[in-house]
Amino acid sequence: MQTTVASEYSNEIHSVPIEHRFNPYSDNGGTVLGIAGEDFAVLAGDTRQVEGYSIQSRYEPKIFDVGDNIVMTANGFAADGVALIDKFRQQLKWYKFDNFGGKLEIKSAARYIQHLLYGKRFFPYYVSTLIAGLDEEGKGAVYSYDPVGSYEREQCRAGGAAASLIMPFLDNQVNFKNQFIPGTDGKEKKPLKYLTLEEVIELVRDAFSSATERHIYVGDGLEIKIVTKDGVRTEYYPLKRD
Amino acid sequence: MNHDPFQWGRPSNETYGAYNHQIANAGVPDNTTHASLDAFPKMHTQQPIITGTSVIASKFNNGIIMAADNVGSYGSLLRFSNIERLIKVGSETVVGLSGDVSDMQQIERILDELETSEEVYDNDGGDYLRAANVHEYLSRVMYNRRSKMNPLWNSIIVGGFYRDRTPFLKYVDLVGVTYSSSTIATGFGSHLAIPLLRNLIPEDKDYVKVDEQQITKVVEDSMRVLFYRDARSGDKYSQVIIKLDEEGKVVFEFTKEVKVENQSWRFAKDIRGYGSSQQ
Amino acid sequence: MNTISQRFTHANTNDVANEINTVHDSLSHKQTLELAPSISVPPISQPTDFLRAHTDDASNPDCKIKIAHGTTTLAFRFQGGIIVAVDSRATAGNWIASQTVNKVIRINPFLLGTMAGGAADCQYWETWLGTQCRLHELREKERISVAAASKILSNLVYEYKGMGLSMGTMVCGHTKKEGPAIYYVDSDGTRLKGDLFCVGSGQTFAYGVLDSEYKWDLTVEEALYLGKRSILAATHRDAYSGGSINLYHINEQGWTYHGNHNVGDVFWDIRDQEQSFVNVDG
Repeated sequence: MQTTVASEYSNEIHSVPIEHRFNPYSDNGGTVLGIAGEDFAVLAGDTRQVEGYSIQSRYEPKIFDVGDNIVMTANGFAADGVALIDKFRQQLKWYKFDNFGGKLEIKSAARYIQHLLYGKRFFPYYVSTLIAGLDEEGKGAVYSYDPVGSYEREQCRAGGAAASLIMPFLDNQVNFKNQFIPGTDGKEKKPLKYLTLEEVIELVRDAFSSATERHIYVGDGLEIKIVTKDGVRTEYYPLKRD
Repeated sequence: MNHDPFQWGRPSNETYGAYNHQIANAGVPDNTTHASLDAFPKMHTQQPIITGTSVIASKFNNGIIMAADNVGSYGSLLRFSNIERLIKVGSETVVGLSGDVSDMQQIERILDELETSEEVYDNDGGDYLRAANVHEYLSRVMYNRRSKMNPLWNSIIVGGFYRDRTPFLKYVDLVGVTYSSSTIATGFGSHLAIPLLRNLIPEDKDYVKVDEQQITKVVEDSMRVLFYRDARSGDKYSQVIIKLDEEGKVVFEFTKEVKVENQSWRFAKDIRGYGSSQQ
Repeated sequence: MNTISQRFTHANTNDVANEINTVHDSLSHKQTLELAPSISVPPISQPTDFLRAHTDDASNPDCKIKIAHGTTTLAFRFQGGIIVAVDSRATAGNWIASQTVNKVIRINPFLLGTMAGGAADCQYWETWLGTQCRLHELREKERISVAAASKILSNLVYEYKGMGLSMGTMVCGHTKKEGPAIYYVDSDGTRLKGDLFCVGSGQTFAYGVLDSEYKWDLTVEEALYLGKRSILAATHRDAYSGGSINLYHINEQGWTYHGNHNVGDVFWDIRDQEQSFVNVDG
């Protein structure tokens, strides 16, 4: 196969057809969510890892503190997720060597991750990626990606197996979608406001305990990483183990 | 690109040919063969040939235990009964492999090379190869191979100790997926042995309440249950226990040719609906 | 050295050593960002079939990797310059991945690119186009023409033809020598200059409104309204379009942003104002 793009496998022999009996992807379940507040951001994920109907592990964390006050997760096919995060961490190290230990801003990290994902456009990473941290003004930021790197900064985003269960809830509770001021006959929208950290943690816990009830790939434990100007801290809450 | 509004932006069959469901469903067992593909010599392992069945492993209060039987199956044929699937790496690590035996031997060679180069070239006189290093290494090899669409068709469990002497147990498979848990089993073992092991160690942290004797008993039971119900298993297995003695020194106990004892096939007569007895 | 002994030494032909080296190579090299990116291809005989099998959710709703797709965009020329209007919905299969996508990429103060098709393809390559345009500016000491910018993009996607990219884009801008210009570029490599384009799954609905109301002599205000109204029609009838409407106007001063208009609100406003959409109760 001759292609016009350089491939990292270009030194491999290409003339040998390979069968497609091997499927390089698998789905390891789990779900993740990120919410940005005024001066903080959280990334949360359950700790269950599955393969088919088997629970492989009840505690395999998938939210990582990658340094520079940024937390990251890549949920879906676990091996791709780990590979992507490792790659990012390694590049961050190089960035530090090249820039006298300077801080990588989250918007730059976000753009770099787009390049990592798009670099595998024709053999995609099967993951939904989220990062969270603080922007240059100290405001909470969450960036979300599709498998091949289109990205957007948002107030909140759910990814992974139960994204379709959690995202509508978040639209309603974080962005007040379809919420109106009582007595205005649905004419006046509830004004947007930043949620406090306590409110956000409550939302996250509700989202995950509800998803656990209705999705077989979610459960066992909930790990939340919270980013504030003082650094990253982790909280753990058990979820149902059935 | 398809310009039909209903399919807008999607790949069009005129450009790309028909959608190939076989690729999307690859890995799902399928007995139909693809004639055009069979015309080429098979250069990569696209399916396992000689296979080893489950490996089971667990942590206990001062170490880890791992067991795997000695059968090498060729489809449903019991082709070999002397395959050793537990490999000692370095001084305090064991690697247990299930799946394709030829790929297992390749991994054995890789680990051998790793051990040698670690000893000869990279050893600066300080640290030595530990389970976590071996696991990280193997997981990179496995993920790299899957990314080349040329997998090593195995599921692997690595057991040993962390630097701080707490037990280490972690898994990696042919697509590079890894996880750690206090109880791990591959293949059929993940269905039959895991419930028995998790019965003794319900939560990951509970391994500290279990001693060597208790866990050995459950592993024995698990191997018996596997022999009863896994048609690709054997009644002879190898067992490795890595533990700390009173002085905190690592003891590596490699027991070969353990027999599945106390077999009782009485349950067989109660099975209804299958087999020859119909009533 | 004979071949047998070679196999068991640290020579390059040693399979095991090779295996180990490739793992090292894949990890330990610093990756530098190139202006011409290199994208890895799966080392198999039919990489395009592979990519499609795993990502074409239209042919196989069960496929695992669902790539976000974008959807109704339009741009037209008129006496006052150019109007660009787009929706903001991204879908991955039946799932609405986002209602807040920014489908207009601001390449520079005089150039806009629109996004339809694979969200990542458009976002990535149009951002890349932005760097190419800036480089042109630095080298040539003048702003790039719309014709040249669009040609850079169409040449690029043509290199990848048949590999599975999906993008339908309009490069819109204003330069002194060209005046207002719109080029349609898609992932087949097509590049067309024109006065009026609608692109995406909702294109037919947008064309319906736009063609019937379009006149060259529209005032800027009328033109902005027509752009908005055309996208509204598309979001109303095309399930893959929706969210909100982003409006832009381009003239010799460059582009100006004319706001984000939520479809939910705009619909009722326009219905009351125009007495249209009377088939809808509410």
